[in-house]
Amino acid sequence: MSNRYGNNLLRGRTAVAAVFVATLALSACGGDDASTGTEAGTDEVTLRFSWWGNDERARITQEALDAFEAEYPHISVDTEPLDFDGYFDRLATSVAAGNAPDVITLGGAYPREYGDRGVLLDLSTVAEQLPTDQIDEAALSNGFFSDVQYSIPTGVNTYAMVVNPEVFDAAGVPLPDDTSWTWDDFIDIAQEISENTPDDTYGAVDPTSADVMDLYSRQHTGAGLYTEDGEVAIAAETARDWWTMTKQMSESGATPSASLTAELAGQAAPEQTLMGRGLAGMQFDWSNQLTALRGASGADLQMLRAPGESHGVAPGMWLQASQSYAIYAESDHPEEAALLIDFLVNNAEAAAFIKADRGIPANGEVLEAITPELDEDTAAQADFIAAVSDEVNPDLIIGPTGSTETRLIVERLNDEVLFDRISPEEAGERLVREVTSAIE
Amino acid sequence: MAETTQHADTERAGEPGTGQRKSPPRPRGQLAKREGRAAYFFLAPWFVGIGLITIGPILGSLYLSFTDYSLLSSPEWIGLDNFQRMLEDERLHNSLRVTFTYVFVSVPLQLALALALAFFLDKGVRGLSLYRSVYYLPSLLGSSVAIAILWRQIFGTEGLVNQLLALVGIQGQGWVSHPDHALSTLVVLNVWTFGSPMVIFLAGLRQIPTMYYEAADVDGANGFTKFWRITIPLLTPIIFFNLVLQIIGAFQTFTQAFIVSGGSGGPADSTLFYTLYIYQRGFGSFEMGYASALAWFLLVVIAGFTAVNFWAAKRWVHYGD
Repeated sequence: MSNRYGNNLLRGRTAVAAVFVATLALSACGGDDASTGTEAGTDEVTLRFSWWGNDERARITQEALDAFEAEYPHISVDTEPLDFDGYFDRLATSVAAGNAPDVITLGGAYPREYGDRGVLLDLSTVAEQLPTDQIDEAALSNGFFSDVQYSIPTGVNTYAMVVNPEVFDAAGVPLPDDTSWTWDDFIDIAQEISENTPDDTYGAVDPTSADVMDLYSRQHTGAGLYTEDGEVAIAAETARDWWTMTKQMSESGATPSASLTAELAGQAAPEQTLMGRGLAGMQFDWSNQLTALRGASGADLQMLRAPGESHGVAPGMWLQASQSYAIYAESDHPEEAALLIDFLVNNAEAAAFIKADRGIPANGEVLEAITPELDEDTAAQADFIAAVSDEVNPDLIIGPTGSTETRLIVERLNDEVLFDRISPEEAGERLVREVTSAIE
Repeated sequence: MAETTQHADTERAGEPGTGQRKSPPRPRGQLAKREGRAAYFFLAPWFVGIGLITIGPILGSLYLSFTDYSLLSSPEWIGLDNFQRMLEDERLHNSLRVTFTYVFVSVPLQLALALALAFFLDKGVRGLSLYRSVYYLPSLLGSSVAIAILWRQIFGTEGLVNQLLALVGIQGQGWVSHPDHALSTLVVLNVWTFGSPMVIFLAGLRQIPTMYYEAADVDGANGFTKFWRITIPLLTPIIFFNLVLQIIGAFQTFTQAFIVSGGSGGPADSTLFYTLYIYQRGFGSFEMGYASALAWFLLVVIAGFTAVNFWAAKRWVHYGD
């Protein structure tokens, strides 16, 4: 079976040929790069704009971009929409490769994750194209750290309880008074709904997420997941209490079984959640998901304040930029990119298409201009945010670098607890330990 | 006595095969040189490819494995820290457990099934090419995203498996979403892609001259003895080939695990394959330096396994010469 050829293959001439062809290929690549540039003698500029979301968002975003291109005929925009799941992986790769999009959509702790690593443009350098004086101060602070404004909020959002009145009705349970309800009320209501509805319908979806633990911790200790200077703030005991509660709910049938919860955890699309399928009475979610959830379930879903808001040492809820726009530091067209962001956040024409899909507009004038045009679902979100905006906790702490992993840590520990592989106590300790090591 | 006869047969069995494989005469002289040059020229694109797409990145990742590299900023040299860290990384140890379990369970099952089916198909089934294609199909599809999504549906709480179980009155559970069963569903997925080793086995079976079986018939050997004393020994090179390839493939499993668990390796890290963990460290938490170190460790593990395989092969693989 031996092969007499093998030995003779890699000899000098091969190497020469390889180098020769490699050089050719490389220079060809270089030529390509130059020709795709924009210096073709005109001022035509093409911007790349990346964001995540569903088809509906794709449609309205495209409408807004068409309006932008009509207003600035020399700029055209290539969109790069993706699913949320793959979005940040791809973004990280394209940043590492040095060809990130000009305008980048970010969310949560990502502006800090990227800003602190020098990937994002200091927006004060393009203040002329992108004024921020009309944008809500608190919302702006979401993208402001290390004394630099790195991103502009697309809109305001809050994390709260979505309820399905039809499920409540079917179970014969009245909606709670959300200005005074407690976590015990939440448990009782969930239990009652589960008992009085068919087997596939649950009082509540398993409530555990990094955001809820942040909220719960603030209600109980005044501090959320992180401290101001980027340390872990949540106490192991708080997490233990939380998991003791949710584990009991899962065992008693108030929330789904461990296995169903684990199955749902991998699916972020609102249409596939139990609430979206009309199979749950209560589910924590972001306020801007209301429209999608209503559309999917076909029910008149409502938003309520989180349980325990009026009984804790501090309010747990907060307002947050739902997403934000930033400019890639190495962008060839920072000014045009700034014009695009300006159009998307400060222009009523764009807002007329996008409305509250990326949160309730943080620009007061824009919000006022589009309010009469808001459909019922969006108006409900705007009303809810207006109603809670004076009560919520004003101290917003953006997670430190590395904190974007917390979401996965919580999900993993939640599985371990619900499947009875570790105790709530151990989960609490591991949460603190693992988040600490992630943000080091 | 029968045994010695068969052994002798086995020895001789290889000869016709090797005898036919005469190496063509090596070209010499001026013409040969010119032809050699032309060959290199035509091979050049391949060399460029392996240089730019394979060897370059491999060396790059070797360098990165000694650095702290967040993807977003430049790498920083930290020596052996990444490898040090691997010793204490509990999730890494868990992912090794998951991967080894998967390799040791799914590869033997898959090869046994492939061999069994190849054996029966070789007995002369009508419409052989149809069966061959049908069984081969899963191998083409097995590592695709679509199949992984389908798998999630089939083994989900409301999936096909549970619906079938419900027909016979068994209340099933979410197979992919239970930490005790999630890995098994992926093993089943891998076993299901038995078609590609099967086709290779089939080709191997076709190579075994029928005269040995005829001789065994004369000696009065039964079906099992023929299988065990003739088929298996003559097939060992093929078994070995499949074993090496499938073990390497199983160690590198990624797509199925990524899709079925939604990228998390869940529930509770029960499907956290080694490659998935590399991915999470590299792209999820921006630790490309550590991820590179992990990747190099995987290379060492696979190389080690392959080396052990080749070493052990001397004891059980008969090439017949």
